[in-house]
Amino acid sequence: MPEPTSENVIQFENVKFSYAGAEGVFAVNGVNLEVRRGEFLSVIGHNGSGKSTLARLVNGLLEADSGKITVLGMGVSEGKNSLEIRRHVGIVFQNPDNQMVASIVEDDVAFGPENIGVEREEIGRRIEWALKAVGMEQYREATPTRLSGGQKQRIAIAGVLAIKPEILILDESTAMLDPKGRREVMEVVSRLNKDEGMTVILITHFMEEALLADRCVVMNRGEIVLTGTPEEIFENGEKLEAYNLSLPRISEIINDLTLGGMNLSNVLRPEELAKEIAQNFKDKGIENAESPADKIADSASQHLWDVSVKNLTFTYSKKSPFATKALKGINLRIDDGEFFGIIGHTGSGKSTLVQHLNALIKLPQAQKRYRAKKPKKGKPVPELPQITVGEFDLANKKTDFKALRASVGMVFQYPEYQLFAETVFADVAFGLKNFKKDLSKEEIEKAVRDSIEVVGLNYNEVKDKSPFDLSGGQKRRAAIAGVIVTRPSVLILDEPAAGLDPLGKKEIMELLHKLHREWCNTVIIVSHDMDEVAENCTKAAVISNGEVVACDRPCNLFKDSESLFALGLDIPLTSKICEELKKYGITINCDCTPKDFAAKVLKAYGGGNA
Amino acid sequence: MLNDVTFGQYYPVKSFAHRSDPRIKLLALIAYIVALFLAKNFYGLALCFLVLCTAIIASRVPLGRVLRSVKAVLILLVFTAVLNLFFHGGSHLLVHWGIIKIYLEGVIFTVFFVFRLFFLVMGSALLTLTTTPVELTDGIESLLKPLKYIKFPVHELALIMSIALRFIPTLIDETNRIISAQKARGADFESGNIFKRIKAIVPILIPLLISAFRRAEELGDAMDARCYSGSKNRTKYKKLRFGWRDLICFLVFAALITGVVMFNIYAADIFPLIYEYIRIN
Repeated sequence: MPEPTSENVIQFENVKFSYAGAEGVFAVNGVNLEVRRGEFLSVIGHNGSGKSTLARLVNGLLEADSGKITVLGMGVSEGKNSLEIRRHVGIVFQNPDNQMVASIVEDDVAFGPENIGVEREEIGRRIEWALKAVGMEQYREATPTRLSGGQKQRIAIAGVLAIKPEILILDESTAMLDPKGRREVMEVVSRLNKDEGMTVILITHFMEEALLADRCVVMNRGEIVLTGTPEEIFENGEKLEAYNLSLPRISEIINDLTLGGMNLSNVLRPEELAKEIAQNFKDKGIENAESPADKIADSASQHLWDVSVKNLTFTYSKKSPFATKALKGINLRIDDGEFFGIIGHTGSGKSTLVQHLNALIKLPQAQKRYRAKKPKKGKPVPELPQITVGEFDLANKKTDFKALRASVGMVFQYPEYQLFAETVFADVAFGLKNFKKDLSKEEIEKAVRDSIEVVGLNYNEVKDKSPFDLSGGQKRRAAIAGVIVTRPSVLILDEPAAGLDPLGKKEIMELLHKLHREWCNTVIIVSHDMDEVAENCTKAAVISNGEVVACDRPCNLFKDSESLFALGLDIPLTSKICEELKKYGITINCDCTPKDFAAKVLKAYGGGNA
Repeated sequence: MLNDVTFGQYYPVKSFAHRSDPRIKLLALIAYIVALFLAKNFYGLALCFLVLCTAIIASRVPLGRVLRSVKAVLILLVFTAVLNLFFHGGSHLLVHWGIIKIYLEGVIFTVFFVFRLFFLVMGSALLTLTTTPVELTDGIESLLKPLKYIKFPVHELALIMSIALRFIPTLIDETNRIISAQKARGADFESGNIFKRIKAIVPILIPLLISAFRRAEELGDAMDARCYSGSKNRTKYKKLRFGWRDLICFLVFAALITGVVMFNIYAADIFPLIYEYIRIN
């Protein structure tokens, strides 16, 4: 923690700002804030709480309506200092793709220094230093579009570092990354703060990231409502919920355990919590404890809509120098009625796999021009991939693929980006009209109304609105409505909660459970969030490098944490704590949800007492 | 549906041709094209062919890959060749069949023409096979630099080109995603008459445009945040440098043009020789 007497690098005094076209609605409403040199500050808040606006005000991308902003002794509101201020305040934005100007890493990193007129040799040195700082020095000549999300974002950070700023602002820079990429970026940021003494402002809605900071600020409706150390902030569970934020999972568990009579402090790391739990057990004289494992009842399904994938291989850009094998012999069975999770990090092949399930990528045998190859002498006949979904045989050319797509709904990542029609009604009806040509006007209206209402939107309110006038969360719901309008039996969603704030995520998952109960037999979600899968899915498959490495119920899946780590994958928080607890001789068998974990710990705790 | 065009048709190997300065390669191509059009006889053409062969060997790109580029213009090639064959006048009538008259001059000219176009396409392809679009942009920017003095926005133009190149793969990915998403909603882009197909593009085009504008706005912010303020007081990190390869390249192509011109002046035109030969027999 910096000394309280140390110098303020950023100062906000009663700053107000409203966007053009929305005058009077203050995106930032009377903010007072001081940031000290060398400090690591995190800013959290729901979508639209004004935290990104704050970042843009700091370096003059936006100009305040009233109030005073001082950065390194320079007044921002005067406008003329903005270029000078931007030399000292670097911002890394959300989407790494939209921050890069050049097609080669070193050219992109050079862009900033070139703009401020740095000498050629010095630019070379800065590129080397900046790439080293983000651990990307071996990618100097690479093409950014071929890198992973985490790598791209590190390049974006390097591009900002090369200007040698004193203050680094990350504006939701990890929102679009998978856990691995997020970890990479957070490591870089922590290191820059600790080793280089850089002032860091981290804007995020991942509560777990906010914990890493020295100080945390909570924003709600343009105002700063809480300030304090992360420990202090996350003590206020009810307050955070009132600000549309959720507690970090670990705080939820601590709350539950404290309610159950345990004596715990507000720790933020799984190993610390495990230590404290173990201490509680010890104080009570419980040496070895084990919670009984639940018996898992197999759901009685009718197996009408089973999904079966056999021996699926797929190569992108075949026969070109850039050919990449995305799938290497996938075998997978998804039973009717499951809420199935497919986990893996970016580039593992999970999206390619699900696109096969509704024949967006057709099996080679089902393509028009396919002719069976004659087997070569002496070589074994290669086995052809097979996919069936319910009654549909996807390897057969004669299959009615249109009917298949009506029965297997597919919601892509960021589905709101596929909205196009003039009204929400027309957009939702688009799929229905494509699939079923002979519906009467009343039938269409009923189906559209039903699906708009089931996703939680008010039909009369939104039907004539343009989909682009909806809020972010509403857009995503409208886009989902546009897929489920045909009442698919199997619904596939690629990263349904990506980019949403914690509350939005929770609401979307609740919606999916509702759809699973009422509309669709099987729901398949593709995700890179282990906790999300552990908490929502009945069964999950882990995909790594184009292969299925594990497929089981979450409680069993995450038991073997070492092999998951070896693949660069994470395990849910509860599994981490369980692992740690084992060291103290405490075995907890839970289904990986925080609620169940806390209940099982208390059971073992209370049980020891009796 | 849409293939990877980040690299155009760049063939990633290391070779003499790959390492040459893009400016020299651009100039060399221009020299080569000029030589092809200057050549009035088969000697000149043969010299061009010789240089082309050397270049192909120096590029280490498989011949098949170079030939594949001709495929794209094959129909055009055949079409113009046939036109030439039928409508080229002359004095040595070979075939007279109805209204079709084929003269010996027509045959010779067509052969000459086909070879010239063939070499032209292969030479241009060799440039894009050995040079990435980024290098090309750098090269063009550098070659256009003198225009700065007549207030031509060279830097801005180069930046626009390089950003366009940078976003092509991103927008292609995006297009593929939108196409897939709309296909999953039952959209059909492959059947129906032309009007139906044009109408079917709307659900792709609108989201794509909206996304392009969103990206442009975000990119603008990111560039502002990285202190971009036009070409004023700007330095440039990458400098193209001439090397020994470029000197060789320069000499070869200078020799080519000189050679072709010499042949044009001094070598007897090959056509009369052929007429003579035919007359004797």
